[in-house]
Amino acid sequence: MARAMATPLTRRRKEVRRHLLIYAGVLPFLVLAVFPIYWMLITAFKQDPDLYRMENFPFWFNLAPTLRNFKILFYQTNYGSWIWNTFTISIWVALITLLTAVPAGYALARLRLPGAENTGIAIFMTYLVPPIILFLPLSRVVAELGLQDSWLSLVLVYPTFTVPFCTWLMMGFFKTVPMEIEEAARVDGCGQAGAFLRVILPISLPGVLTSVIFAFTLSMQDFLYGLAFVSPGDQKPVPVGVPTELIRGDIYYWGSLMGAALLVGLPVAILYNFFLDRFIQGITGGIGK
Amino acid sequence: MTAGSLGGGPDSGVRVAAVPAPARRLASRGWRSQGTQRLVFGYALLAPAALYVLLLVGAPFLFSLYLAVSDANVGDPVARFIGLENFRSAWEMDTFWIALQNSVVFLVVAAVLKSALGTALAFLLLQDFRGKKLVRGLVVIPFTLPIAISVLSWKWMYDSQFSVINWVLSRLGLIGQFGTEGWPIWLGNPKLALLACIIVNVWRTFPFSAIVLLAGFTSVPSEVLDAAKVDGCNFFQRFRNVVVPMIAPILLIGFLFDTVFTLSDLSVVYLLTQGGPGNATKILPVLAYQVGIQAGNLGRGAAIALFLVPLLAPALILVLRNLKRREY
Repeated sequence: MARAMATPLTRRRKEVRRHLLIYAGVLPFLVLAVFPIYWMLITAFKQDPDLYRMENFPFWFNLAPTLRNFKILFYQTNYGSWIWNTFTISIWVALITLLTAVPAGYALARLRLPGAENTGIAIFMTYLVPPIILFLPLSRVVAELGLQDSWLSLVLVYPTFTVPFCTWLMMGFFKTVPMEIEEAARVDGCGQAGAFLRVILPISLPGVLTSVIFAFTLSMQDFLYGLAFVSPGDQKPVPVGVPTELIRGDIYYWGSLMGAALLVGLPVAILYNFFLDRFIQGITGGIGK
Repeated sequence: MTAGSLGGGPDSGVRVAAVPAPARRLASRGWRSQGTQRLVFGYALLAPAALYVLLLVGAPFLFSLYLAVSDANVGDPVARFIGLENFRSAWEMDTFWIALQNSVVFLVVAAVLKSALGTALAFLLLQDFRGKKLVRGLVVIPFTLPIAISVLSWKWMYDSQFSVINWVLSRLGLIGQFGTEGWPIWLGNPKLALLACIIVNVWRTFPFSAIVLLAGFTSVPSEVLDAAKVDGCNFFQRFRNVVVPMIAPILLIGFLFDTVFTLSDLSVVYLLTQGGPGNATKILPVLAYQVGIQAGNLGRGAAIALFLVPLLAPALILVLRNLKRREY
């Protein structure tokens, strides 16, 4: 009762106080989460002497900002090739993932195959077999196929985690497409394949796109396979090349390192951000919709 | 695992098919041939993914079992069967026991810290406030940034001389000056190095804990909470007796995923310390990599990696049981 009679002013004041409390609570988390990224960003644009002066205030520029660190990256290292490798690897992995996971997800969700649910779970569980157990045998497979020391080896192995995850994702997705749409297509004379290709696929584009994004972002999270299978400096993807090639012995070019890491890491993080809820839904089985 | 489960498909299929059996007997021949056609089409669509997973996850997993009982190494491709020799020699390595202990300490300490931070953050994000979307987007960045990339930032922040963490702590008067005893060398001090690695793992995964919890909280219908309120439950009773049981499955899954990823991740430790100083941060994945690839002893490396299986198996079985109950 009292609340209903409160004047607009006190209600407003209450709102402001509530907001201030929440912001005070959220602030430490924001600092914790964002500071390392801010630190990378500012390091990337600092001149070298500015990094190593303890008496200066480190959180802002004491000398003029510079692009020199990025010039070093593109002119004196393989950074350009790593970006290119990352790009081509991602495209191939996404393609393989799409061609396998989308049809499989559809078959498991819709075609009433015997034991479909268990098969789906079995495929998804392979997503949880850690690379650390698979990388030694896979290194033999890669060697047998003559792919060692080439970025192609990563095109072969990255689908080992993107295919299970995306099959599971697509399976959940196709289950949400109303059965009536398919039945209508069949009545209109579409065959089994026709209904899938001409009716279901087009309306499932959001799901398919999500799979592509995951094929890309999950590939970017790998470090072990790249480290174990690809040693020539110009064949690595960015997340492997930056930490292994830009650090020589005990000499760190922190400015270039941070620049190299951020330039690719940040776009990936932002892209992944938009699809994070789908990822959580995927692994928790869509309970938290 | 994959092979077994996929092979089990037809068996479970019999059970599924047994339910509508009377209906099927009534069905005309045309319907049946349409069913066959549907199955052929279905298996054709399923085949590429199933084959990929069988050939590149299932077979390598079996192959790693074989490697573990052989004397395979990088120089000599012809491997002989040597039984459990690799497991025995791993068992007798001091480093193995150190790595096992470090792995368990890493897992447990990190889990406690990230649950505490994640729960607090989830409660905050449950409130309505202006700029919530932005806050959420910023706070999850550690989880979405590729791991090998964000570890570099921490390596720089842990620098022995120019550590920004130490700069702040020193200005606050919490630690001594550079060059004195009171200046922590995060990655060089055996007492601090494991903690430093754990902090990075916690930093990376606390947003994940928070988002999973949040997904759980928002899945509890508000009518249920209102009903509990009407029945006279206070906040903590509602939380303990209504919310927790309802979100337990989703929490468990999130927790198990995190366990699998944390136990098997090598990039944080490998990039920060390579397992050093001494063996202070050596964990099982790092040891397996060093023995298997750097020392070229494939068999023993595979055996060490396989010691993760008994650690992971309970988690995997629980995930499996939970997924079977998933809703759409």
